[in-house]
Amino acid sequence: MSAPHTSAPPAIDGRSFAAAQAFLLSTKLYWTREIFPALKRDYEMRAADADKQPESAADVAALIGDTTLYRSYAWLERHLQRFKYSGRYGLQPYHAQARGALEPSIDPARLPADILELDPEFEQPAYYTSVDIHQHPGGVWSDEIAGFVYERGARTTTPTHGARHQDLHDRLADAIEAGGAPERVLDMGCGFGKSTEPIYERFRDAAVVGVDLAAPCLKLAARRAADHQARNVRFAQRDATATGFEDGTFDVVTSTMLLHEMPPKKIEAAFAEAHRLLKPGGRMVHLDFHHLPDAFARFIHYGHGRRNNEPFMEPFAKMDLESVLAAKGFDTVAVTPFEEADGALDPGHADWRFPWTLIVAERAA
Amino acid sequence: MGGIRELGTDSDTGPRAEQTFFEDPAIDRVLGLTMALASEVYVLRDRLRALEARLAEADVVAPDALDAEPDPEEIARSAADRDAFVAHLLNNLLGEQASKGAR
Repeated sequence: MSAPHTSAPPAIDGRSFAAAQAFLLSTKLYWTREIFPALKRDYEMRAADADKQPESAADVAALIGDTTLYRSYAWLERHLQRFKYSGRYGLQPYHAQARGALEPSIDPARLPADILELDPEFEQPAYYTSVDIHQHPGGVWSDEIAGFVYERGARTTTPTHGARHQDLHDRLADAIEAGGAPERVLDMGCGFGKSTEPIYERFRDAAVVGVDLAAPCLKLAARRAADHQARNVRFAQRDATATGFEDGTFDVVTSTMLLHEMPPKKIEAAFAEAHRLLKPGGRMVHLDFHHLPDAFARFIHYGHGRRNNEPFMEPFAKMDLESVLAAKGFDTVAVTPFEEADGALDPGHADWRFPWTLIVAERAA
Repeated sequence: MGGIRELGTDSDTGPRAEQTFFEDPAIDRVLGLTMALASEVYVLRDRLRALEARLAEADVVAPDALDAEPDPEEIARSAADRDAFVAHLLNNLLGEQASKGAR
């Protein structure tokens, strides 16, 4: 029996990495613009011939779940994401080989004082560590370089937007500003600070705090804020469901793509915490995935959650947010479709997209 | 609906069973192999293009000469290599043993 192969794989050069990732992105764009619309057309034809109109995701599964087109669609969604993060040209191994340069760049000792608060005793909740979300090996929390991997991966989360992806976060800042310029803002589940950045950049007179579970992401968020010479933001390793801030500290509590990563009990706890943290008259503004107007949209979205290792996507989408928020003491609740890019909500929009939803609720003045 | 298995049923520490989408999991795996090869092909195309661009900049090759349709003599010279390539690929479909084994 031959000895096991133990030598390290050869380093991947930047050009090959970029070419492979560009290939994957082109493949994902084809999936977004061609395969998904073809799947929807096929579904609509089958539904038109069906005795009973599909009402649930299970009804849709019964119609198209066994078709070769759907299986191929689902396979690609699962495995393009796998190739993006893992394997020879994956984001994880590529960044791991640059560990020696990346880790020192986010050393807290090299950051301005008070911009970052980490908790060495922090214990991650079990739901968070049990699955590697987004198929990111080790999740976004367990490896020092996880923030860099996540940041690179998130550049192509919504591939049809390309460079306009920033619009999404700017549009959330618009929604925050619609309630007046805030003075103190909490960004729950801020990650590496992509959602926080347009807030502290736009509201220069506001004090902005980002909290997250993941220290590697918080370090990168603080690094990016320091690079922007931002003086009105700080980042802290705290759980959104129990932040430790005093009652009535903030006039805006926001989050972007956080809620669907949490089990419903934790989501409810985060809403209760937001209510406690808001001043009277303060507003909660969350951007997430919730508006699923028909059975096909639900089937597609629930499947996306499974395939992208986001097990709470479906339970969150099924929550009756109006009732939950009313029960938590919020007065004015609005759950509305969110146009993440121009034309995204047009009836003729055929490409795959996330079911972006704006969730706004106010604490009574 | 795609035969999707639940994650986390194998063990807490070892690899977990990959999701399957086709009736025969072999199709899932062969597709993965195909995508891996396709990405390698694209990596090669990208590097070749970069190489040709550098060679053109250095006046080693003229891009037009590389891009032009080969003349019949050049096509004929590569025919045997092309035929061997095709045979290597497609003889897999014949289902014949390459060496004499059990009938």
